[in-house]
Amino acid sequence: MLSPKPEWLKKHFPWQQKSLLVNGRSMAYVDEGPQDGIPVLLLSGNPTWGFLYRFMIPVLTEAGYRAIAPDWIGAGYSDKPRNDAALTLPHHIADLVSFMDQLELRNFVIVGQDWGGPQGIGAALQRLERMAAGIFMNTWFFNDYLGAFHSTPFPWTSWLSPLVGQYFHKRIKILSHGGPSVTTQRAMTDDEARAYHHIFDETDSDHVVLSWPRTIPLKDGDRGWATMQAIQDRLPELANIPILLLWGPEDEVFPIEYAHHMKKLLPHAEGPIEFDKGRHFIQDDRGADMAPVMVDFLNRKLGGDQ
Amino acid sequence: MKFITPSEEELSYLRPDPLLWEQELDHWPEAAEEMEKAVGFRAGKAYWRSQHDHLYALELADLGRGRPSRAMIYGHWDRFEPRPPEHEITADLLEFSLWVSEIFSGLDRKIVDKLTHLPRTKELLQFPEEDVKRTPDNRFLNLPDFPYEPQYIDVENLRLAYVEHGTGDPILMLHGEPTWGYLYRRMIPPLAEKGRTIAPDLIGFGRSDKPVPENAYSYKAHVRWMRQFILALDLNQITLIGQDWGGLIGLRLLAEMPDRFQRLVAMNTAIPDGSPISDGFTNWRNFSQKQTEFNVPAMMNQATQRELTAAEANAYGAPFPSKEYQTGALVFPRLVPIRPDHPGAYENRQAIEILKTLDLPVLLPFAEGDVVLGAMEPVLRSIFKNVAPELVIKNAGHFIQDDAGEEVAGHILKWMA
Repeated sequence: MLSPKPEWLKKHFPWQQKSLLVNGRSMAYVDEGPQDGIPVLLLSGNPTWGFLYRFMIPVLTEAGYRAIAPDWIGAGYSDKPRNDAALTLPHHIADLVSFMDQLELRNFVIVGQDWGGPQGIGAALQRLERMAAGIFMNTWFFNDYLGAFHSTPFPWTSWLSPLVGQYFHKRIKILSHGGPSVTTQRAMTDDEARAYHHIFDETDSDHVVLSWPRTIPLKDGDRGWATMQAIQDRLPELANIPILLLWGPEDEVFPIEYAHHMKKLLPHAEGPIEFDKGRHFIQDDRGADMAPVMVDFLNRKLGGDQ
Repeated sequence: MKFITPSEEELSYLRPDPLLWEQELDHWPEAAEEMEKAVGFRAGKAYWRSQHDHLYALELADLGRGRPSRAMIYGHWDRFEPRPPEHEITADLLEFSLWVSEIFSGLDRKIVDKLTHLPRTKELLQFPEEDVKRTPDNRFLNLPDFPYEPQYIDVENLRLAYVEHGTGDPILMLHGEPTWGYLYRRMIPPLAEKGRTIAPDLIGFGRSDKPVPENAYSYKAHVRWMRQFILALDLNQITLIGQDWGGLIGLRLLAEMPDRFQRLVAMNTAIPDGSPISDGFTNWRNFSQKQTEFNVPAMMNQATQRELTAAEANAYGAPFPSKEYQTGALVFPRLVPIRPDHPGAYENRQAIEILKTLDLPVLLPFAEGDVVLGAMEPVLRSIFKNVAPELVIKNAGHFIQDDAGEEVAGHILKWMA
């Protein structure tokens, strides 16, 4: 089911992915570390895939955790449907719920950045009794705070408008062949940039890169608004679950104000611990420095390195 | 089929999405119109809720029109609940197709059965053998106070075990999590003086077969399995005794076929309608769902108020030689509907409407020390018309049959007389 990985990728991404069917589509994932370790779900967002967590996976597994990094449907080595209906937030949540059920994950930790936040929290709320902890970075799961990046015409709303969006995203692949390689704050090698790009090389394989941002709810009635609102309304149910916020304050997409708002909704959360010299894809810029902080938090909250 | 209107909260989960509507729903408008006429907009939604137990179906079926989607017909409906086993989906689709043809063409199901070679639902519902564990018989040797010879019936290719003792009208005793018929050993001898006591083991428990995959277990499946047990033994004039899940399942069966029952004894149990139950239950649910294996003897020893002998504690652990046998026990607390969108909540609300109309005598022995379901007594009391006065059993906890079996049996006998 999984297409083979190119040779040049293995240096940066040595892990063998597995796959399983969620809602009729193949989802690729990395599953490393002891099988009886506490499962840590590493969830990425648009337009990245499990590769984004390559600096964190070895640190987590070394500490005795089971690191699981799925590629969401539409990205990485997962199936890439050309069907908007399969790429809505509720669908992405449903895909993840099915994934967690099939792996029979218990006592799991959600780690989410960008869309990995709402997808992870949305799925965790469906299996709340099995959730052990959450770690969030440069993401959001609420409707009542909106930064300038998403609400102003340049760059965001005009990038995504009808016709123009097709041109920017599908013809010149502004996101699918941009993203982390453009925002990187360290010297990303060509191979690393290619690792983010090559999954969208095929024409129209990046359908999701256009359709997913269009479900970022900006006002009541937008696609995704009701789902996001349902998530926000249930956040108080996380009161007894340890939460850690790690943030790259130099990110223009989800600047530090988002972390402060998240802290209002989840007052018991630790952090935000800030990591400078990093932008939106903070796991790539500062992953190696963030991983020990995550391990320390999990050890403290979940009772040692098992 | 009877429908009730979904609650406002349930309706609020429906999120019409124009794009989904265009892409998945607009392929068969005539049939949708017919169905709408036949069952009404709300009822169509309720039908899907009742048939498929999950939000995806509900959401796609509704979208303001009450029509089923192609995604649903193709079986892609595992949105928030695990996708059911394939044989169940096939059976569901058959039911669905016959339902549609009945509405659309007016064909009676019985005529369709006669005219076609379609398989019957019963033939389709066969659990695949390779996914099932069976506890070896030698685990059940020398059980203290439980000398009864097990008997077996086949439900959906699964072996369901039960014991029976005494003669007369059936006294059906249903156990719950994580026990088995053994829980009733102190009540069987006194009650067998009065009737034919029957104590089955739920699928996944006791001497019954234990499917390994998690998705084998659902509220709906447990009700279906136990319904088939009652039908197979053709029990009538039943006095139903249920505790914990035994009540959750038994009360649904009572609502489905009230004519087969003559009395109800509900102990430390509930029929949850999607409201929160108690802090005790929430704690248990949260704890249990983080475990990958239960130490059942230790759990039972801790949960009972009297000290179990080692042999008794081991008898509770006997059905589970290893964790592969425990799937049913491990998932059970998660299957209790405590939110309106949980599977079973809608069906329970439907059932409660029926239970409210019954005038069979009801006894509610509740233990003073049950922190899990003790708070449910007034709720049950408010449902039934003909309830005996409050009966609080002192020095007993959640497993009331084990803490005070003979005492409860005495109360039941007095009440039956």
